[in-house]
Amino acid sequence: MTGAISGFLHELGGFIMFLHRVSTIARRTKGNLRAIYGQIVYVSYRSLSTVLFAGLFVGAILVIQFNSMLVQYDAQVLIGGLNTSAVVREVGPLIISFLLAGKIGAFTAAELGTMRVTEQIDAVQCLGTDPLQYLVVPRFVAIVISSVLLLMMGLVVSVVGAMIVASAACGVNPWEFMASIPQFTDGWTVFCGFFKSLIYGHIVAGVACYKGFTASGGARGVGKAVTQSAVYTNLYIVIANYIISDLLNAAYEVGKPVMERLF
Amino acid sequence: MSIRFDEVHKSFGPKKRILQGVSFEVKTGEILFILGRSGVGKSVTLKHIVGVLKPDRGAVWVDGQDVTKLDELEMADIRRKCGMVFQHPALLDSLTVYENVSFGLRTPQYTQSLQRPLTEAEIRKIVLEKLSLVQLPSKVLERYPTEISYGMQKRVSLARTIAPGPDYLLFDEPTTGLDPITTNAVNELIFRLSRELKVTSIVVSHDMNCALKIADRILVLEGGNILFLGDVQETVRTKEPLIREFLAETLELLTPEERSRYGLGEKGAKK
Amino acid sequence: MRSWILILFHRLGVTVSAPMTEHLDAVGEMRFLSGCVWRCCFARPWRWREIIHAGAQIGVSSLPIITLATTFAGLVVTNEIAWHMDTALNNTAMIPGFTARFIMRELGIAIPALLVVAKVGAAMTAEVATMKITEQIDALKLLRIDPVAYLVFPRWIASILSLICLTLFAIAVTLFFAVTVAVSKYGFNVDEYLNNLRHFVGKDDVIYAVVKAGVFGSVIPIISCAYGFRCKGGAEGVGLATTNAVVASTLAVIGLDFVITYVFSIIMG
Repeated sequence: MTGAISGFLHELGGFIMFLHRVSTIARRTKGNLRAIYGQIVYVSYRSLSTVLFAGLFVGAILVIQFNSMLVQYDAQVLIGGLNTSAVVREVGPLIISFLLAGKIGAFTAAELGTMRVTEQIDAVQCLGTDPLQYLVVPRFVAIVISSVLLLMMGLVVSVVGAMIVASAACGVNPWEFMASIPQFTDGWTVFCGFFKSLIYGHIVAGVACYKGFTASGGARGVGKAVTQSAVYTNLYIVIANYIISDLLNAAYEVGKPVMERLF
Repeated sequence: MSIRFDEVHKSFGPKKRILQGVSFEVKTGEILFILGRSGVGKSVTLKHIVGVLKPDRGAVWVDGQDVTKLDELEMADIRRKCGMVFQHPALLDSLTVYENVSFGLRTPQYTQSLQRPLTEAEIRKIVLEKLSLVQLPSKVLERYPTEISYGMQKRVSLARTIAPGPDYLLFDEPTTGLDPITTNAVNELIFRLSRELKVTSIVVSHDMNCALKIADRILVLEGGNILFLGDVQETVRTKEPLIREFLAETLELLTPEERSRYGLGEKGAKK
Repeated sequence: MRSWILILFHRLGVTVSAPMTEHLDAVGEMRFLSGCVWRCCFARPWRWREIIHAGAQIGVSSLPIITLATTFAGLVVTNEIAWHMDTALNNTAMIPGFTARFIMRELGIAIPALLVVAKVGAAMTAEVATMKITEQIDALKLLRIDPVAYLVFPRWIASILSLICLTLFAIAVTLFFAVTVAVSKYGFNVDEYLNNLRHFVGKDDVIYAVVKAGVFGSVIPIISCAYGFRCKGGAEGVGLATTNAVVASTLAVIGLDFVITYVFSIIMG
């Protein structure tokens, strides 16, 4: 057990050091906007279909679960709002970013890992270019931006999926569903979803680049990098989820009276 | 203008001690072969020159600068002078052959050393020139590395390395895993490039056959130390058992004229 | 005007469906593997040693990460549900029931399954793919050992059993931390909480969890090994196979989760 804990801390430390190095370089140099734009289009295109699929089903699953509970309280009118709020604030970002960990994260880890074990990264370094700046920074920035875009898209789709299933399986008509959304969902909910997506995007991008960049040992090493990238992304996301949820709730408690006085 | 190793020690962890006080100097313009068994630290030695690895103790001098004490920015200048060829072609898969070869010409260190960036026409001229040096047709320019044969990838990788005009060429097992015909072609390329470009070359290999054909001097590593350092004629005459073992098959296959070039007598006369 | 719309829809369709085709190719392999595995169930001998070995690998290796992840999930779930109940319904009495039901039917099952996909499924693909490209699978065939019976079947049995155990364990951990937060932060009494909980969850929910976990556990190794067996090329191929397997397994888990949830919602009302 102590071995597992110290191993995890070692891993976390290496990850944070890597993030620090990447962010220093990203700030010091002017970004190659064309490379970043190309990566964004590439990453988003590759992942769009899977994210839409996942988003649709996440909304659908939750609406069935909520329905079975709300029926007992005869509170089906609330289902649209409750479901939307839960999906956007909590479950949607979590599950969809698990998917992105596989789709974008593992793919990037595999790509960089292959470059590492076939000495392409050493070659770039020996030609006098910083591989972090040339290979990692554009990918990192692009993954963060496209993860946020994809996650927001997934959240929108999940509401649609929930609405379809609610009307088809639970007998809640779509207008009723839509009408109850504003009761629970406001700008703050959307901000929570956006903020979580932003942080998860950083985790997906950071872990994937770190694991791929530090891969070693042939084909086996690439496989290991991909596996570990998926595992650690999921783990960090669950932990971050807890911390962010707490922080956001605390911010809401503090901010609510202030906002009420202002408006 | 030379490369010198000064009592270099390097170990990976307490158990894996690779280099234990290696010192040698590479003469300007020569081709030095570093031979030895697998895992003896040949590639490690090479990686010290470009600063990918740092020694535990000792110094590595390149052009009068101790590379162990340089930071990343100063190191980039050393790396521009040292062209490294890897065992794999290590071409960037996302770039075409043309973009791969011109990669080193667009780096800030290179443009700084010229005091101005190159125009696209100049880059194209250099790329074509280097491609003809490695005997590749210009029609491969717009292809991607995965679309050409392995032998061609090797040549492209060579062209990429010589494009920025390095003073030193470092080869890390350039012929491992190649068939005999491609091996001969690559060896001939190494020899011709070193002479035509008047660069100093260090080749890490375990192929004694190639070494005898193209090396000026041969260095044999064993057990973390230098076992032997001498020119080709000294190598074929040495009594060192490990080197005799390395040589055994090779000597049998030599033609009479090669034997006389190395200063050996008629076949079977001397044993 | 109409043609513009048609072109737009066409482009959209291509954009959405093109990345899916690479997965469709693997479906045939999955069907083949499931057939083989099903046949292995009735063939002797069962390779008990390999099954136990695989079970130890799957179960034990993912235990720490599942414990860690479900701990944080348990801490967060009460907070979130309380926030919703409080701001929306002004009724905190429903917290225990909602929390327990949500954990037993969704959270406590989906999180371990998705972690097993990343940890065990991906490792399985990487291992099989490495064996494939280093010609170890061909070597097995030459030794007249059926690679499916030797590699896939033990993992399949082990994965079903371990995922069921891991899910029950995960539910217990998540519930424990959910109760802890409810007691310490929202002033619930432990007895009161458990009483309230009994109205909402029962034996049915345990069966529900076991069925879901069993289905996920049987699907993950089949998908993972299918991508491993189809691996081509060197290091690049291993990376690609592993990536595709993780994505396909995650999608399968989410999709099947919906189907099972829907079926159970009809059965259990």
